[in-house]
Amino acid sequence: MSDNGNFEPRIVAFLCNWCTYTGADLAGTSRLQYPPNVRIIRTMCSSAVDPVYVLKPLMEGADGVLIGGCHPGDCHYQTGNYKTRRRYVALHEILKASGLDERRVWLRWISASEGQKFASTIGEMVAAMRELGPNPTRENWAV
Amino acid sequence: MKTTIPVEDGDVLAAIRAFLGRLLESGALEAIYVPLEAAGGAAVPALVTDPARMAQANPLAPVMPINGARAVSALTGKKAPGRVGAVLRSCEIRALIELVKLQQATLEGLTMIGLDCPGTFEVPRYMERQGQAGGGLGDYLAAAREGRDPGSDGLTLRTACQMCLHPAADQAAIRFELFGLDPTQGIPVDIPDALAEQLGYSAASADGARQAVLEKVLAAHRAKRDGALAAVRAQMNANGGLPSLFNACIRCHNCMTACPICYCKTCLFRSASFDHKPDHYLSAAQRKGALRMLSDALLFQLTRMNHMSASCVGCGMCTSTCPSEIPVGMIFSAVGEQVQAAFGYEPGRSLEDPLPLVTFQANEWTEVGEAK
Repeated sequence: MSDNGNFEPRIVAFLCNWCTYTGADLAGTSRLQYPPNVRIIRTMCSSAVDPVYVLKPLMEGADGVLIGGCHPGDCHYQTGNYKTRRRYVALHEILKASGLDERRVWLRWISASEGQKFASTIGEMVAAMRELGPNPTRENWAV
Repeated sequence: MKTTIPVEDGDVLAAIRAFLGRLLESGALEAIYVPLEAAGGAAVPALVTDPARMAQANPLAPVMPINGARAVSALTGKKAPGRVGAVLRSCEIRALIELVKLQQATLEGLTMIGLDCPGTFEVPRYMERQGQAGGGLGDYLAAAREGRDPGSDGLTLRTACQMCLHPAADQAAIRFELFGLDPTQGIPVDIPDALAEQLGYSAASADGARQAVLEKVLAAHRAKRDGALAAVRAQMNANGGLPSLFNACIRCHNCMTACPICYCKTCLFRSASFDHKPDHYLSAAQRKGALRMLSDALLFQLTRMNHMSASCVGCGMCTSTCPSEIPVGMIFSAVGEQVQAAFGYEPGRSLEDPLPLVTFQANEWTEVGEAK
């Protein structure tokens, strides 16, 4: 595949409708610049992101998956993001235990007013994924 | 209360059959879930209402064709329809407790009858043993008495049983003690006081041999477990990792079907979501240059891990049922142990412990979700 020089990471982002998606929208309407490496999928709540949705893009070769939700305590559905947090801890343990790279899955709390934080998070994540290099499952046909 | 069931002529099985028959005859229970000996030598789990049928009951048969938690889930649902008893091994009881927490069964109206379990054989190994003189029961009980592995070179226990850390059915209301058992002294049984009174059993002191034997069994199993899990972890951390372990998977879903915890009737992996259109396969193949058929095998295993490994009791039914002989249970135990440790959760321990992915606390993992 491509060497790290022209490697452009592909990131799939699941953003909660009420906070992070609105934050991403704010980043856009505020004309903030951030790398174009992210494909955004809107979900009603970060807790609606079943691990299977995170794993599927990783199996297909996405270099990173971002889950964005409201800050703890601010969930539109009261407690969804607390459950997201536990599910994310479990997912990380499973990825770690399986010898898969848990550093490719990020969870970030970004509120509707944090357009700047959204833009900088994407910047950070793209840089981190560039550092990690292409996801090895991108070329593993047998998964 | 601790009592002893008398054993005549060293026939432990007859004594247990008589006890189960009395539970039905006395009206204490209306039905008991227990394996019955059937034609051809199989031990078939059954719901028994006729005390005369207890002549074929064999809860000592060292085989577990299904995890009984699934059966009890079917028998109780939200409310047991009568006074039902179930003869269960520790792994079945622990899986049942998880199913109750998952709202797939209830312990109300259910009397759990547990036995010390020296381990079980795969169904074909069990049938082979049955062909031998005496069916191997004498040796099996002797192994329980001495705390040794009842398996032999050609006929080994299921791997999950070899590394089981819960051979005693601690949560059962009625509990038969087989470890350290001296049949001439009768079988020590834990039994609720009211039931003992109804059946006319009086208190008897416990034998001291059991604890030492149980500890010997646990030490051997722990050593086996540590070695086996370390080996599978080494494979998962080696080049290729988990994907290489599941390369032989044919995605038959047997592991999911046999798993007592995997209860979802509309599993995503059996839904239309994975009935892809032909052009989906072509484009997926074009992306990577080749595409595994059937596709999504690793995704299936990883998703199942996420959905049930916190509740995995390590019964090993998945391994027993895998046609590709993948050590599925070992892999799930290795991963599940780490997930369970992260939440300080022991599946099957108690109804009081909430399922880790259902509950939460506001002030935990506060570093998660924040930039480093």
